[in-house]
Order: sequence, then C-alpha cells, then structure tokens
Amino acid sequence: MNAVRNFVFARRGRAGKWHWTDIVTWIWLIGGTIIMFGPALWLISSSFKGPAQLAEFPPTLLPYVQEVAKVEGYDAPLPLYQVTQEDGSTRVMAEIRRIGTSAQMVDPANPEERVSVRLTDRQPVREVGLAINNYTDPFLAFDFMRYLGNSVFVTVMATLLTLLTNSMAAFALSKYRFKGRDAVMLLIVATLMVPLSVILVPLYSVVSSVGLLNSLWGVILPTIATPTGVFLLRQYMLTIPDELIEAARMDHASEWQIYWRIILPLAAPALAVLAIFSVVWRWNDFLWPLIVLSRRELYTLQIGLNTYAGELNVQWHYILAMTVVTMIPVVLVFIFLQRFITTGIAGAGIK
Amino acid sequence: MGRIVLKNIRKAFDAVEVIHGVDLEIKEGELVVFVGPSGCGKSTLLRLIAGLDTPTSGSIEIDGRDVTKAGAADRGLAMVFQSYALYPHMTVRQNLSFGLENQRMPKAEIAARVDEAARMLEIDELLGRRPTQLSGGQRQRVAIGRAIVRNPTAFLLDEPLSNLDAELRGTMRAELSALHARLSTTMIYVTHDQVEAMTLADRIVVLRKGVIEQVDTPLNLYNKPQNLFVAGFIGAPNMNFFKVEVKSGKAELPGGAQIAVVHEGPVTLGLRPQHLRLAQPEERAIAAEVFLIESLGAETVLHANVEGAGQIITVLDGQLDIARGAPIRLAFDDANLHAFDAAGQRIG
Ligand SMILES: Nc1ncnc2c1ncn2[C@@H]1O[C@H](COP(=O)(O)OP(=O)(O)OP(=O)(O)O)[C@@H](O)[C@H]1O
Ligand SMILES: [Mg+2]
Repeated sequence: MNAVRNFVFARRGRAGKWHWTDIVTWIWLIGGTIIMFGPALWLISSSFKGPAQLAEFPPTLLPYVQEVAKVEGYDAPLPLYQVTQEDGSTRVMAEIRRIGTSAQMVDPANPEERVSVRLTDRQPVREVGLAINNYTDPFLAFDFMRYLGNSVFVTVMATLLTLLTNSMAAFALSKYRFKGRDAVMLLIVATLMVPLSVILVPLYSVVSSVGLLNSLWGVILPTIATPTGVFLLRQYMLTIPDELIEAARMDHASEWQIYWRIILPLAAPALAVLAIFSVVWRWNDFLWPLIVLSRRELYTLQIGLNTYAGELNVQWHYILAMTVVTMIPVVLVFIFLQRFITTGIAGAGIK
Repeated sequence: MGRIVLKNIRKAFDAVEVIHGVDLEIKEGELVVFVGPSGCGKSTLLRLIAGLDTPTSGSIEIDGRDVTKAGAADRGLAMVFQSYALYPHMTVRQNLSFGLENQRMPKAEIAARVDEAARMLEIDELLGRRPTQLSGGQRQRVAIGRAIVRNPTAFLLDEPLSNLDAELRGTMRAELSALHARLSTTMIYVTHDQVEAMTLADRIVVLRKGVIEQVDTPLNLYNKPQNLFVAGFIGAPNMNFFKVEVKSGKAELPGGAQIAVVHEGPVTLGLRPQHLRLAQPEERAIAAEVFLIESLGAETVLHANVEGAGQIITVLDGQLDIARGAPIRLAFDDANLHAFDAAGQRIG
C-alpha cells in the first residue's frame, strides 16, 4: 500500500518541492481522466435519472428518485414534497395534481384537507436511487429483443467473415511470393482512403441489384473485406517465421492446413485486435444499415434506437438507458478478447 | 533406401547464382556433412534437396527416382531446422504427431510412434509441455524427434547444434552419432563447426562460394587436402603457409632449410601447427621469434614471427617454459609437408 502511494505521489521535484513537470503531469492526467471517463460516467448516471431530473439545470451528479407515499383515497402513490409554509416551518406533503404555477397538495397524515401550494414554495423529497424503469420499459414496450437479435447476428456474422476473409488475404500477401503481390497490397491499403460516403451510391445499387436490400446479409456482406484488417493481419503474419511454414510443409501439411493449423493460431493476438475493431464497427454501424434496412423487424439496435428517438418527443431517459445497454456487449467483447492480445508467442518455438 | 544423387545443380536467386553446378552422390545410410564458410550455400543446397526450393537447373534423384519437381512432402525426407521451428502453440506431443496426422495415420499408430521416439530421445516427460517451456537442448531433441517419427528415407539437419552451448553441443553430438548408428538412415548434416564435421561424418563435403572443393572422408581431408582452400579450412589452428620458389626441384624455406618438391616455379608449402616441434641443435629448422604464448595445460600454442615470411603457429605438447620474445627453432618431417601449385591445387 505504501509502495503504491509512493509511486503515485512520486515527484520530480526534490524535498517536497513541486517541479513544473509534476504540475503539468497532474493536470494532464486528471484532465485526461475526466475527458476519457466523464462522458461515460455521465451517460451511465444519467441513464438512471427520471425525465424531470434530466431536464433540470444545473444537472445533478447522482441519480435521485422522488419519494412517494400511499395516501388514503388515492389509487396511485403520490410524490412527496417538502413544503415551506407561511410561518417559515416546513412539512412533507403529497401532490395530487398541478394547476398552473401552484399545486394541490395533501398531508398524508390528514388526507381530507387539500391545500394549494405555489411551486416555488416546495422542494421534492428525493433520495439517491435508480430509475430502473428506464431500462425495463423499453424491453417491454419497444421491440428491443428483436433489434438486439438483429444486431448480434450482424455483428457476429460480419466479424467471423471479416476474420476469415481478411486472414486468408493476409496469409497470401505475407507468405507467398507472386507477381503483383506488392501492387495488390498497395491497392488494398489505398482503399483505406476512400470513405463510405463516396461509395455509398454505387454500393447501394450493387446491393440492390443482387437483391440484398432489406436483408441482414445486405448489411453484412459489403463490410467484411476491410483494408485495415488485411493490413493489420499481414503485418503481424510477416513476423511469423517462414521456417515454421516450411517445417509444416515437410510435415505433409497442405497449404490449407498450414493456414488453419499454423497461421491462424499464431496470429491470434492480431485476430483478437481485429475482432474487437470489427465488433465495435459493426455494432455501432448506423448509416449503412439505415440505408439497406427499411423494414422495422430487420432494424439493428442503432437504427431502432434512432426511430425511437423520433417518435412523438425525444424520450431521453430511455435513449440514455438503451445506449448504455448497447455499450455493454462491446465492453464485454473487449474484456474477453484483450487476454489474447499478448504479443510474441509466434517467435517462441524459434530460438 | 536413402540414396541421393545431385546432378549439376545450379541455383540462382533473381540474377545472382549462388550454387554453381554441384554434382554429388550420397550413398545409402551415409552421414554426409556439408561444411564451408558462412554464405557458401550450404543451407541453400540442403533446401534444394529438401524440396523447399527448386533448382534453377540440374536434377535431384532419391533412390533412383527423379524428384526435382516433387514437393517437399513427397520426397520422404525430414528436416531439422537451425531454429528448430517447433510449432509454439502445440504441445511436444502435438508437435511430434502433426506430420503423422497429416498423413492420415491411425491414431493408435501415431501414439505408438511418438512414444517410441520420445523414449529414444528421453523426452517422454516433456510430451505435455509447450516449446516455450523447454530448454535449448530439450527443444533440440523435440526437433529431432519430429523428424524421427516420420521414419524418413533421409534426415536433413541444418546446423542443428549451433544454438546450444559448448558442453551441450558435445553431448548432443555424441547422441546424434549414436542415433545415426542405430537408425542407419542417410543423414545430411550442415555445419560450420569443424569438430562436428570431423567427428560425425562418414564423408565431408567442403563447399566454397557455391562450388564443391573436395568430398572425402574426414581423415583424407586432413591428410591430403586437394587444394589450398581445404588445407586452410580443415584443421585448427589453421595450416601455416609459406610462399616459395622451386628451382630445379629444390625449395628453400625461411631460415634456410632446403626441401625437395616435384614442381617448378612458385609453390605454396603448408605445415600443420601440430606437425612442428622444437628442433634439436643440429637439426634443419625454421627460425622464429615468439610473440604470443597460449598455455592450455595439455598443450601450448605458440605464435611466432618468421623473418620475411609472416607468422607461424605451433601447437606443442605439454607445458613449456618459453618467454615472449624468445627465439625458437621449429623442425618438421618432410612427410607432413603439403605443397600446392600457383593455382592452389595439390602437388603430389
Ligand atoms: N532467399 C534468398 N534470396 C537471395 N539470396 C539468397 C537467399 N537465400 C540465400 N541467399 C544467398 O545465397 C548464398 C548462400 O546462402 P546460404 O544460406 O545457403 O549460406 P550458408 O552456407 O547456409 O551460410 P551460413 O553458414 O551462414 O548459414 C548467400 O550469399 C545468400 O546471400
Ligand atoms: Mg545456413
């Protein structure tokens, strides 16, 4: 514990003095932490706030829920407020309804007597709590499960196909010598510079003419060949010693077996990186699925969420909660796959 | 099984030819060692035999079958790589059985062969480990085991011991020799270590710059080197050379010693350091002045300057009491003299 403290509070300045780099370091690190984690934390905490609280200014740091009480003669539980009375004393009352700038309120202990209270004279009684229904309501009302299923299907399929095709291309480009290999590589890398928006229209007409509009495969297939993936995997495979492949060749392995049993396992760290990228890309894809999919039951989460925002008024509390839910798989995938991102096992059999 | 014949093999990488027409016949069960300086084409030649590269021209026959165009797997050979090239993601057992699985051998037979090879190489306790969890010597054994289980017609070994320390190299050398005696399979062994070559080989192939300089048994190479290169390459420390003029069958060594040579004109005379001894007072000898003494206990290596003829190295038995700067006289027997003509070829 002491060692940790010493490490964290170590300074460049001597004898308790602050060197200017110490100050810059602290500012940089704290600022960085806030910039990196702030939005995520805000998102998570806000996703547990009710709609009224979200609209509040200044915003609160933690989510609160208003306390409610069951009052005799009223079916639904009524929200509780701290009311400041004319003589300056305060008491807790329940709100029956709002009328303009004042509200009709009742003392839970004395349900017969109704009082009119100005809105400015009262404060909601709140405690830290979570508005769980932000999460549960959409699951029931909104077609969340179907969208989730579509998203999972697209992400899993696209990622598997991306890994397969890209690693095959990378294997050929890194381990075979053939005429035009470097030109092919250059061409693939060059497509990195073509943004989606440029090829959107031609891509649409291709997908449309092969009849993949309004099909999840229409979302999946155009995305699987990624130049980034090929490049990433090729660079990694270049570090796998050729002697391993030659040894496998002497061991009667076919080229396919070499790919499947030697190259793929050894490229696992790079594959894990690409898998993470691919999952994030495909999960968060918005524009392309929006174009291809127009039937509601095919929507992926991102599009579903968008249409949800468009209905009537924007229900931010649901959107925030659903955004958190959509983030979870990506985070899980990252946590699971990052174990594989350990480098250098390929060279281990070679002295 | 295991007769390998190379006929006029040439190999060029792009425009650069690195093997310039090699003819070689390796007999069944023979252990042939390729030696030569770094970059002379030993590995390239071995890879051509293995089928990992194809020769630019020439042909390769194994047991009378022309395999020049055959792939690496179809030649029935097994190779041990300098880097071992063990599959790092597989256990030792998987490493050994990979080649057999690819040949669709029944599981029971694979297990039997792997166990037998493991017992022979004393790696049975390591079968569950991965290459990263092995020491250098153990990895070496696994690499050899991977070759053995395949039951090949010939073994190809590319500097298999060069990554080991000196002591381990010694024991592994003995084990390899015993292994060859037991399996009596043809082996081609590449090394640049002379001791390995001399102790292991039935025949040694000396290569230089993609050309075979001499093929012979180790002792013949040592006793009758065919040219200056082989003479200088085989034997440690290197042979001492003196350039002399032969006039009417007689040459004069530095220091005035007269010797008979059946040749005329410029000749290079060679004397191994081990064939020199301290001269008796009246004996014919080469005079020199010692400038470095290496006392190794069992023997003493003297480096000396010969006036007008450069340096001479002598290996003398036992421990000597000679000071730096002392004059010495070195005698030799004529039988131990090697003579080479102006083109570097052996005379006589
Ligand atoms: N793939 C290649 N492309 C171009 N030149 C090559 C290639 N492989 C080998 N060479 C050249 O061929 C020559 C012989 O190389 P080789 O590897 O056979 O030498 P070697 O005798 O095994 O040397 P060492 O003792 O250092 O292993 C060298 O000059 C090398 O530069
Ligand atoms: Mg080599």
